[in-house]
Amino acid sequence: MDSYTGYYAGLRSLDNSLVVGHAEHGWMERTVNLDSTRAKIQPLQWYHLKLLAYGCEIVAEASSGAQGSLASSALSEKDCVVSGRVGLRSYAAGGVWKNVTVRPATREDLTAMLARTVTTEKTAALASPATNQERYRVGTPADQRARQPFSRTTNAQSIDSLRLFPLSKPAKATVRGSVILTSPTLFVQDSSGGVSVPHPSAPPLKIGDEVEVSGEVHPGDFSSSLAHATVQVLWAHSPVPAASVTASQAASGAFDANFVELEGTLRSKSYGPDNTLLFDLDSGPQTFRAITNRGRGDALFNNVKLNSLLRLRGICVVNAAYTRNLTPFVLLLRSADDLKVLAGPPWWNTGNLIATLVGVIALAFVGIFLYGRIENWRLRAVMEERERLAHEMHDTLAQSFAGIGFQLEAVRNGIPAELPVAHHQLDLASDLVKHSHEEARRSIAMLRPEPLLAGNLLTALESCARQMVEGGAVKIVATCSGEPRPVPLRIADTLYRIGQEAIANAVSHADPNKITISFEYEENLVHLLLADDGKGFAESENLRGFGLRGMRKRASSISAAVKIESAIGQGTRVQIAAPLPPRMTLFSWSNLLRKYLMESTHAQGFGQ
Amino acid sequence: MKNEKSPPFRLRYGFCIIVLALFGLSCHSSSPFTIAVIPRTSGTGLWEPEHAGAEEAAVHANTRIHWNAPTREDDVEGQIALVNQVVSRGYRGLVLAPDQRLALIAPVRRALAHGVPTVIVGSPLPVPAGEKLSYILNDDEAAGRMAAQRVAELLHGHGFVAVLGINPDISAVMVRARSLEMFLGESYPEIHLIKRTGSFNFLHEHQVAEETVRENPGIKVIVGMMWASGRAAISAIGETPACHAKVIAFDPDGSIPFDEPAMDSGITQDTRAMGRLAVELIDGDRHGKAMPPLIKLQPIAITRQNVNTPEIRRLLSMEWRATPWVWSTAR
Repeated sequence: MDSYTGYYAGLRSLDNSLVVGHAEHGWMERTVNLDSTRAKIQPLQWYHLKLLAYGCEIVAEASSGAQGSLASSALSEKDCVVSGRVGLRSYAAGGVWKNVTVRPATREDLTAMLARTVTTEKTAALASPATNQERYRVGTPADQRARQPFSRTTNAQSIDSLRLFPLSKPAKATVRGSVILTSPTLFVQDSSGGVSVPHPSAPPLKIGDEVEVSGEVHPGDFSSSLAHATVQVLWAHSPVPAASVTASQAASGAFDANFVELEGTLRSKSYGPDNTLLFDLDSGPQTFRAITNRGRGDALFNNVKLNSLLRLRGICVVNAAYTRNLTPFVLLLRSADDLKVLAGPPWWNTGNLIATLVGVIALAFVGIFLYGRIENWRLRAVMEERERLAHEMHDTLAQSFAGIGFQLEAVRNGIPAELPVAHHQLDLASDLVKHSHEEARRSIAMLRPEPLLAGNLLTALESCARQMVEGGAVKIVATCSGEPRPVPLRIADTLYRIGQEAIANAVSHADPNKITISFEYEENLVHLLLADDGKGFAESENLRGFGLRGMRKRASSISAAVKIESAIGQGTRVQIAAPLPPRMTLFSWSNLLRKYLMESTHAQGFGQ
Repeated sequence: MKNEKSPPFRLRYGFCIIVLALFGLSCHSSSPFTIAVIPRTSGTGLWEPEHAGAEEAAVHANTRIHWNAPTREDDVEGQIALVNQVVSRGYRGLVLAPDQRLALIAPVRRALAHGVPTVIVGSPLPVPAGEKLSYILNDDEAAGRMAAQRVAELLHGHGFVAVLGINPDISAVMVRARSLEMFLGESYPEIHLIKRTGSFNFLHEHQVAEETVRENPGIKVIVGMMWASGRAAISAIGETPACHAKVIAFDPDGSIPFDEPAMDSGITQDTRAMGRLAVELIDGDRHGKAMPPLIKLQPIAITRQNVNTPEIRRLLSMEWRATPWVWSTAR
């Protein structure tokens, strides 16, 4: 129905008129205004429209039940369309049809309708030689001032053709199109392009109104303008869809004064003059600006973030009055609804990268902290298990040895002294039980972690040594130098076990008079020295059984170095050097780095 | 003792400082001094003389010329990419004949923001001249009047003239078209114009010329505002025996086909002088001399009578080397 060849008639509320026209992929029509004092076409009322086609005579008549005939109009054409179909439509008005009847017309019908028309008609003076084969009649309007000339499409032309109008003398033209912007300037667009209409003489317009504009043509390079224009509304609600273009296409000027849609990345936003909001955007190699009014746009302005990807709809304008020659074009947005945020700013901006880095570092610290805690928990579990074993051994093995000892003593007391062999064997058994009891006590003592947990490492080892030599004449000397600092539990436990082993070796095998336990703390190192003045051993001797392999194994688990010095008659020195983790503070980074550089430089220097 | 830095330590820091300094210097210098010259397109008789002029001036200024252009005049994106490279590659000056007046605004503004002295030749951009931006333009108003005067002579003061190739992308074309129309309107009101928009696309121009000739077989004069439209008009007239129109064409690409009966005359711009002056201006800026905002050069009419004069032959020559070729032949 939008593009057809034929005839139409209708009632139009916009200008209170009866319309009869000829459509041929365009239209040519005559409007007859009704006497507004007598009848006004308005919604929610029923009107009767009668259209008669007989030969090349077309007659239309409108009437209402209360007021009778309102208007009639007729036209005839020499070479008319003689066949076709009948259609009904309600154009953007919501009107409905009822009691529709189509029947063949007769000459009598034509004569009757024309008779009613002729009584009030004045034949229209035909406007131009080009249309002199046409005969239009105008009916009823009582108010002669309300008569309007034909809306003659013979003068209407495509908007794009205005660019080729002569420059040397002013010319007038009429175009038809849809309103795409009303403020700050009226823009009208048809299928060939857009035109600006500054300061028109026009009724109140809204976007989507289909209008006819007549004015003085000012051809432009990319689009034209119509000055001193008058605007007539043909009908409403015929919005033009936006053409989707790229910024590069818009920057060519080919879409000047057109309603377009494009995307861009927001680089800056600011308040402009005359209560406007300015958005500067990038898209590929092009930059452009979008302008909209404040009001509802303020909320959007405050919320939209820089570097967001936006989709905008607006009128593309290349006029320097808007672009100020800073950008190839600007977009005049009709309202804040023409701006849509497609995606927020990408996360990899400078601030987020810094925050991510800080987060990763914090996570690393948390991970290290948790690892240390878990390691502590594991060690505590091991110690608790050892303690449990110690208690078990104390309650079972040690008690059993004691019981066996008592039983052996009872047996020996019961055996006569005349059996020396039996006494001798019982003494041996008693010694073995005593020795085993001592071993069990020592193992229990080694398994119990209380000394280490209760005090510092030196105290724990000293206490352990004193327990081992309890009742004997061995002297225990404990010393400490340097600045004592907390030692991680894993390292402390390992040092304690190595120290225990060394003390036990000294007590069991060296027969010393004095055992020295010495700790020396450096910044990142702790030295443990266990020395005795016992009988020593030759380093070439087979030392299996002295637990030295176990000591070395334990030491390697904490990256500690073990050095054992001994000679026959000169005692034994066991030295362990265990690294300590560096003490991290906010200000220690630079020193650590500097130290690393110095050490690596020195290492290279020594390497040379 | 601890505070003293050992020689290897000082060496390491010194090495780092030297590397950083060299890196910093490499970001700010592009030696030797190179000027990018970007015409509308390359390999054409209109713009190769600009290359010759630029090379000629470069010899005197002891600079180098980087000559590059898109292969088509409507490849605006290609020209934008070349202009962007001027900044990224650190060229010290830009001479540009823009393919499109609006699309080149942003790239040229970017180059100016980076302090690249820029000279626009041929057709202006809507960017005001400034400390680092200068224009060397053809006097297109004079060119339009020149064409209008010739039209009036051919039409004896009355009749129709078709003006083809009105391309809004190029400001110079619009200026000369307006000048032609205004001059004819004021001085020869009996001469009427048939105007057609155009582009650099020869096939499109040929179609427009064919339609114009078919619809107006009695037309006496056709003006091609660009060489593509002038050449298309000559071709269309040649295919229409009933049409005996004469063609006046702007910006001829090299030699003008005066062997064609329809060819009347050409009006060209002195691109050789544009190239030479542009390089001289940028070299002057390098030595602290202010660049003038605008230099206008007079258009040159080429007719059958003067086409073989040394001045015109030199103007249309595609030989761009500042020093002549040395040829040798082996047998």
